[in-house]
Amino acid sequence: MAAALTDRYIGAVTKSLPPATQDDVRAELEASIGDAVEARVEQGESREDAERAVVTGLGDPAALAAGYADRPLHLIGPTHYLTWWRLLKLLLWIVPACAMVGVAIAYGIADKPIGEIIGQVAVVGISTIVHVAFWTTLVFFILERTGADAGTTWTVDDLPEPQESGAGRGDLIASLVFLGLAAGALLWDRFVGFVLFARDGVDVGVGLGSQTSSMPILNPDLWPWWITATLALIGVEALLAIAVYARRGWSAALAVLNTVLAIVFAAGAVHLVVTGQLLNPDFLAVTLYRDDVPSDVGRILSVLLVVVIVGIGIWDVIDGWLKTRRAQRGAR
Amino acid sequence: MDETLETHLQELRRGTVVLACLQLLRTPGYGYGLLEDLERHGFATDANTLYPLLRRLEKQEYLTSEWNTDEARPRKFYRTSPAGMRLAGTLTTEWAALTGAIATLTNTDQEV
Repeated sequence: MAAALTDRYIGAVTKSLPPATQDDVRAELEASIGDAVEARVEQGESREDAERAVVTGLGDPAALAAGYADRPLHLIGPTHYLTWWRLLKLLLWIVPACAMVGVAIAYGIADKPIGEIIGQVAVVGISTIVHVAFWTTLVFFILERTGADAGTTWTVDDLPEPQESGAGRGDLIASLVFLGLAAGALLWDRFVGFVLFARDGVDVGVGLGSQTSSMPILNPDLWPWWITATLALIGVEALLAIAVYARRGWSAALAVLNTVLAIVFAAGAVHLVVTGQLLNPDFLAVTLYRDDVPSDVGRILSVLLVVVIVGIGIWDVIDGWLKTRRAQRGAR
Repeated sequence: MDETLETHLQELRRGTVVLACLQLLRTPGYGYGLLEDLERHGFATDANTLYPLLRRLEKQEYLTSEWNTDEARPRKFYRTSPAGMRLAGTLTTEWAALTGAIATLTNTDQEV
């Protein structure tokens, strides 16, 4: 029974060693353990206790075997860890988002119910994350075991650029100009009309205005309430931009406001698209609903439009929070 | 003992075991005997560190080995090879240089 302990231990150590060294290691370990047990027995310990103590002292047989075979006891060591981590972060930013948007578009075009779309996007998102993490790690695990060089050495060129705080004068001007243009475009579309169309052929030698009539792209019924509400949202966005500039950076309260604005805007826009109220029926009559346009085109464009609206909203929210976090870190 | 202190001591001692083995094995020795010799000279080492280390040094050809089957228990005897002697010489010189360098850190009348 006692001898079995040493045998079992040595068996556990040698079984994962290269066959060529197994017998040698076995014989040497037998001698070493035997010597150590002998020494303890001479001190007056019972043979069984001595054997148990010696084998315990040698520790996990797998660890000892790794020592003999010069195998690493980690999944990814310091040589590859940083490369692995950078690549994993990069892939996790890109791949799941692309997969989820792709699935959302595909299921939307296939006219699946909204619950199924959300469920499928979640499933695809989670499984992509798991796949990306697993396969990336597996590749680096193999690199680690084979001692291959990942071929990336850090240089000063890899230093990150100073990140935008989003609170500079340029950001403010850009925001206000963009918001002003958006408000102007809304009003122009309502009261003048963006789309020019000619009743007959157009003679480019003469002014266009007299030959064409114009119509709005957006549904005229959106006036006054929807348009006014949008203008109000634009006004609040402008105030937000000014507030960010005035307090030299984002704060949690501003990020919350930004989130609410983005959700309200996206929800309103998506509602109008889905209920078919967004675009001018007259405009659609001369474009999408012409007889030579396949009937699916309108639906597919709606799906893409919804994805774009939701995507912009989500990005806006994330951007606000990222800048808030940066500002808080910078303040510390 | 304090865990950080223990880590620092380990870091400092790492590598000295190799030198001690190379010096002690100028006269052939076997695993358990060497473990006891190291302990007696003040280089307390775990068996599970020493045994793989001996094989690594043998693979790097700083040690040679031979099975001695004269006694009841056959033992693998290691002996420092000529390359091992040279390595021991280099390491000893380095150790002396380090000792000198550390002395200059605490000497007030140093000339640097």
